[in-house]
Amino acid sequence: MKFLRSFLFCCCLLPARAFAAGTLSGSVKGHQKQALADVVVRILNTAYGATTNENGDFLIANIPDGRYKVEFKLMGHHTAVKSVDIRSGETSHLHIALENSLQEMNEVAVLGRNVLTEVSRQSYNVTAINAAKLHNTTLDLSHALDRVSGIRVREEGGVGSRINFSLNGFTGKQVRFFIDGVPMDNFGSSFQINNLPINLAERIEVYKGVVPIWLGADALGGAVNIVTSSKARSYLDVSYSFGSFNTHKSTLNAGYTSKSGFTAQLNAFQNYSDNNYWVHVDVADVNTGKYYPDQRVRRFHDQYHNETIIGNIGFVNKKFADQLLLGMTLGKNHADVQTGARIVSVFGNYYTRGNIVMPSLKYAKNDLFVKGLNLRLNANYNLGEEQVVDTVYRRYNWFQQYKEYPGLGSERSRSLYTYRNNNGLATANLSYQLGKRHSFMLNNVFNTFDRIGSDPLKPGAEVYEQPQKLMKNVTGLGYKFDFNKRWSTSLFYKSFWQKTTFSQSYNPSGNWGDVAYLKQENKFSNSGYGIATSYFITSKFQVKASAEQSYRLPDTYEMFGDLVNLDGNLSLKPEMSRNYNLGANYNFHIAHIHKFSLDGNILYRDVQDFIRATLNNNQTKQVMENRDRVTNMGLDAEVRYSYKKAFTMGFNVTYQNLRNKTKYEPGSAVESVLYNDRIPNMPFLFGNADASYFIHNAFRKGNTLSIGYNMLYVHAYYLYWPSLGKDKLDIPMQLSHDLNMVYAMAEGKYNIALECKNVLDSRLYDNFSLQKPGRAFNIKLRYFIQSKPSHN
Amino acid sequence: MITLALGLGIAAGSCKKDEKKTDTPVSTAKTKYIVASTPIASTGVADYLLTTDKLTEGSITTLGNGKEQDGTYRYYITHKNRFFSLLYGQGNPGAVTTYNLSGSGELTKVSDFQSETVQVFNTVNDDVLLIKVPRSGNESASMYRINADQSQIVGEAQVNIVQLAGNGERAHFTWATQVGNKVYAPYMSIKGVSPDVFGTSFPDSSWVAVFSYPDLKLEKVIRDNRTGSIGAYFNNGLTQIENGDAYAFSPASATLSGKANGTKPSAIIRIKSGTTEFDQSYFFNVQEKSGGHHIYRSTYFGNGKFLLQMYGDANALTGMNKLAIADVNAQTFTWVTGAPADVALSATSRNTITSDDKQTVYIGLNSTAEGSYVYSVDVNTAKATRGLKVEGGKITAICKLTY
Repeated sequence: MKFLRSFLFCCCLLPARAFAAGTLSGSVKGHQKQALADVVVRILNTAYGATTNENGDFLIANIPDGRYKVEFKLMGHHTAVKSVDIRSGETSHLHIALENSLQEMNEVAVLGRNVLTEVSRQSYNVTAINAAKLHNTTLDLSHALDRVSGIRVREEGGVGSRINFSLNGFTGKQVRFFIDGVPMDNFGSSFQINNLPINLAERIEVYKGVVPIWLGADALGGAVNIVTSSKARSYLDVSYSFGSFNTHKSTLNAGYTSKSGFTAQLNAFQNYSDNNYWVHVDVADVNTGKYYPDQRVRRFHDQYHNETIIGNIGFVNKKFADQLLLGMTLGKNHADVQTGARIVSVFGNYYTRGNIVMPSLKYAKNDLFVKGLNLRLNANYNLGEEQVVDTVYRRYNWFQQYKEYPGLGSERSRSLYTYRNNNGLATANLSYQLGKRHSFMLNNVFNTFDRIGSDPLKPGAEVYEQPQKLMKNVTGLGYKFDFNKRWSTSLFYKSFWQKTTFSQSYNPSGNWGDVAYLKQENKFSNSGYGIATSYFITSKFQVKASAEQSYRLPDTYEMFGDLVNLDGNLSLKPEMSRNYNLGANYNFHIAHIHKFSLDGNILYRDVQDFIRATLNNNQTKQVMENRDRVTNMGLDAEVRYSYKKAFTMGFNVTYQNLRNKTKYEPGSAVESVLYNDRIPNMPFLFGNADASYFIHNAFRKGNTLSIGYNMLYVHAYYLYWPSLGKDKLDIPMQLSHDLNMVYAMAEGKYNIALECKNVLDSRLYDNFSLQKPGRAFNIKLRYFIQSKPSHN
Repeated sequence: MITLALGLGIAAGSCKKDEKKTDTPVSTAKTKYIVASTPIASTGVADYLLTTDKLTEGSITTLGNGKEQDGTYRYYITHKNRFFSLLYGQGNPGAVTTYNLSGSGELTKVSDFQSETVQVFNTVNDDVLLIKVPRSGNESASMYRINADQSQIVGEAQVNIVQLAGNGERAHFTWATQVGNKVYAPYMSIKGVSPDVFGTSFPDSSWVAVFSYPDLKLEKVIRDNRTGSIGAYFNNGLTQIENGDAYAFSPASATLSGKANGTKPSAIIRIKSGTTEFDQSYFFNVQEKSGGHHIYRSTYFGNGKFLLQMYGDANALTGMNKLAIADVNAQTFTWVTGAPADVALSATSRNTITSDDKQTVYIGLNSTAEGSYVYSVDVNTAKATRGLKVEGGKITAICKLTY
């Protein structure tokens, strides 16, 4: 509730003596006394100016003596002009508050998750989730994202289960994830959106289609940026939740910033669940294979837990750096594997585990050498390793009975394989503001990968000793032109480069049994470009349009495989997409009591060399291939309504029309019968609805009770191509209802939340035959304090 | 409906009685062919089961038609007038669906049962015998006996394939064939180590493991060194003919690090009826007679004559499908004419079925240029004639049932 009611309070002026040059310092706050960052402070009729930092502070030095008018501007706020006297050798101070110009935000912001205006007002098609508002829930990031139009998160099971993220029809690696602008692709299984708690994030930005240059990297159809709290302040946020299926989750987020600029941040979190929810399944007799149809049994080998700690120490607001942080992320996870691709294949001992050991460095400096030149650097290196453990020679059924066989064997594929990917990442972002209208940005993201692995069960398997290296670099150059407050346009150009080093086996002598390896190198380079523009027709009605041609480079898993279920394909080409977006949003109110917000987007995607999973020649593993050409014409829309501060509701719907445009399949000169068919096994119509009711000062002044409801709807879709066959397999329609109640005491210092998910205990499936949890209850306790007045 | 079913029951019952009385059953049953088709696409692909009365003319399509099968790769076998749809589930167990034909000739599901992913499946007595052959990791192959009437597993046995190979590699069963009252399972030797799992340092030997039935005890290994291993991955290489002799087909297609390393020709060898040795007096050098081509797969017409699918390139393990007819008694080799030349060889399809009169083999050919058709190959004229068109995908299997 950063932008709640605002009022202006005046500055104070300090008298001083007249000399050659003086300094102006001060701070800008919002109505709730929260620090306002990025406020443009200009001394009118001069070239002097500055931008406020994250504390809302600014400093302008070397100003000639005189009396000046100083202008304070921030989008979404009324511009303020103050007078000040500057005197040589002295520092004048201006401390002001800016009034929010979007009055209707007040009410929508009660629970309007899509109204983080600064973000949403960019030219890009972006939705921002105010994660802070969800801190009292037990959601993980993936479930929070599932409520955004255009996004569908498909799960295979309960806590920590494998997910399949889709954004406007793009899935898997086509959508990139970032944390504070740093690509997350190298973080391993211990640090993914299905195990990160919502409390880690301050806000989540979802870019649909064109991704802004400062996010860098190669994304094809969009990106998700998780913004963690980086406020230079002192705070403590502790929560614990307990729920059905023996699920325990806790988080601890703490930060400390001293007056001298020393800062320390700690984020720790833990998830644990037995995931032993009930499923309906045909249970096979362990000896005869005969099915006992439609039995209600508990999942029994699906324990998941992960524990992660992230620490950062450093300095903020120093001369040498606006931010300098050294960090370390340590974490591990363990996931039992309960089923294969179908629920009838069941395991009882097979599991995977992984860890993350990742040192990191963050550096930011504004006004480097010259004013308006800002630099940000990030680097990290993941030393974590992953392991698949399958060594028990048994066959289980859903009654937990098993047959054990003598000798060495496994449930699926015997393995103790352990590997490290040795991922390194460095990003640099340099931006320069030239005058009021022009800004330039240069972004570079560099990745390295060097997989080293071994399996004690397979000594001498030389493949593990062979080089599997990859280097990737993406450079972006952007230019933004702000014609006026209403019209803004960005142009960008990206250059992609990738080098892979690997080896191929060959027989050097022609003699039997003689194997040698030849070192090979592959290189790709490509470039992409695009434009994004936005225009405010009125202050409450904005239209946005963007177009781009972008590439996604195949990632390391796709090229080298995971040595478990995915074979590598070293000849994968980058996939290319042309993306077009058109969006509009409009806010209005009736008598300042009924507030409405409407948001709609149309998009078109044309993807070539679409990277898709297929089975390898021996049909034992998946392998990625460049095959299909796919187009998608998609629509999504969202309507929100609020009544005073008491009630809010919203509704969103997404339709995506993904069509196969491969007219001639390889190995056939006959037109494919699937040409123009809908891509199967992808949800194409889905939506969410939510409503919340707030009782302010419930039971006691300062306490708030809220009651919320969420609904998810997903239209049924076919598992295989829709036009083929008569008796068809499908993933049935999903309709689920969640209820929650949050009681926040002492202005949000203490919070108790109760949740009931899937209230009607519906049988829900995201993937064919893999049933998701039924009705579940959770309770969450949270304690939150901070040294500065609450900003939310 | 009830009277119809009842009537059929009586008819079937009387049919059995007839069989007992006379040796020439009067079959009043009608035949339906089941054609499995997979769309040519890289993703979201399932098999569709289509039924047809004739393979020699007309067309069928998967568009809005056919029974969708779960799983990208499935295999089919018929036994005791039942159709079994098996999942190849990447090491995972999966459901096997059994179908028969209803009184009106509709493919109707009888039951489901669970089975393992297997690489070998064939009929033995009243059973369908399945063998799961791990190519790496596990050292034991598992054999399962499925009773065709009960549609469930009635017996299981393990054999250690590393010990069986005895050469440091693994014995990988290519297929299993009932010969007399035993099961003969030819195997190839494979390294079983990534990245060259199917590579071998022993390309020039033939092995057949002999198992008792139904207890599936290993009794003997028959070995020869005149050609390569019998059959190939997922491919039968051993057929018993009417006089009880078993003919073994070797593609001689072993590789090491992706390169062919065999030195012996692709040939047919023989196990005489009543013996458990290769007949050293018989050697049909197919590679020589064909002008250098290797055998890919064989289908038996009858009377000692086989339809061969051959590698299209001479002295290489590459090229498009070429058809030929081999007479194992006369040791003659004849190329078949009239078949399209642009048909890729596929290890996993089971596209042939032999007519009751043993004069014709129907073969599904997936041509790049013309699409998918069933061709009839005449054993006497060695001519292939285009018949049923299958629209909407590649033909992956042809089976038949009666009703």
